[in-house]
Amino acid sequence: MTIKVDLGTPLLARNEEMAEEIRYLAAENQIFIVNIMSSPGAGKTTLLEQALGYLTKELRTAVIEGDIATTRDADRISAHGVEAVQLNTEGACHLDARMVYRAMQKLDLTQVDLLLIENIGNLVCPAEFNLGEDLRLVLLSTTEGNDKVVKYPVMFRDAQMLVINKVDLLPYTDFSREELAGDVAGLNPALEIFYTSARSGEGVENWVKRLVGLVRAKYGVSS
Amino acid sequence: MHEMGLMAEMVDLLAESAKEHQVRRIDKVKLIVGKMTNALPDALQMAFDVYKEQELFSPSAVLEIEERETIGHCAECGTTFPVRDNALFICPSCQGLRIDIVSGRELYIENYEGEEETRYDN
Repeated sequence: MTIKVDLGTPLLARNEEMAEEIRYLAAENQIFIVNIMSSPGAGKTTLLEQALGYLTKELRTAVIEGDIATTRDADRISAHGVEAVQLNTEGACHLDARMVYRAMQKLDLTQVDLLLIENIGNLVCPAEFNLGEDLRLVLLSTTEGNDKVVKYPVMFRDAQMLVINKVDLLPYTDFSREELAGDVAGLNPALEIFYTSARSGEGVENWVKRLVGLVRAKYGVSS
Repeated sequence: MHEMGLMAEMVDLLAESAKEHQVRRIDKVKLIVGKMTNALPDALQMAFDVYKEQELFSPSAVLEIEERETIGHCAECGTTFPVRDNALFICPSCQGLRIDIVSGRELYIENYEGEEETRYDN
């Protein structure tokens, strides 16, 4: 006999459960989690390298590096004396909450105030997977063009912070700050925008100050 | 690109539920997919064709996908409207920018149909 079963179960139900576990771990250890997303080559790792100098003076920082293969990025971060865990997805186009939860087990969470998760370079798939983060940060470089915001609406609608990197290259691109501001106003008016150059260091300190401010606002000045 | 992974999740959720409800072979699955997700119906169908080879499904099993448009609700004046290009969250009545998404983020299994396990109770 044929029967029909009503479910109403989200496809990502299990990821949401794991994200909840991460939030629990983070709250218990007073850790602020940032999920950093961008397309490949936007400058995520280079920006982090620039930021760590400022960040580590204020907060005990750890990094989870997501890549399809190699430990190159974790090696780059470790060279700055910051604890870094490399995650290799071996083909998968995004990090999910289970991978992050496992990576967190490798850290001494009692010694971490800020956990930066560098997601796989991709503006599509990572948007779908909640990692239990406090802040979703998207990095976009000037050479990619300002139209990416409306071309990847799910990614940019769900983010709270947008960092436009490679401002040193602005004169050589058609990137328009005005068009970007207009598109952001229509898609996600609460999105905070920062301009940086991970290469020259321009704007990095200003952005880091805001990040530190958000962490302090959540967990107080003592951390 | 992550549709294979989504389909793997769907198959696991179905297998669990089918066991619980003593369903032997699934003939039809109905999925609700909002346009404000990054899950593409065509890619989901392709992934389903791979997974339906498993014993959980009958050889003629079908995946039915119902798409949902992106609908916004203006927190200023209460107008409900379709969001153009998934990117223009501006109220057409009052130009308000505080827009909640009331539809378009759906990504769930609504129901499935299948053959009930034969029982020999008597």
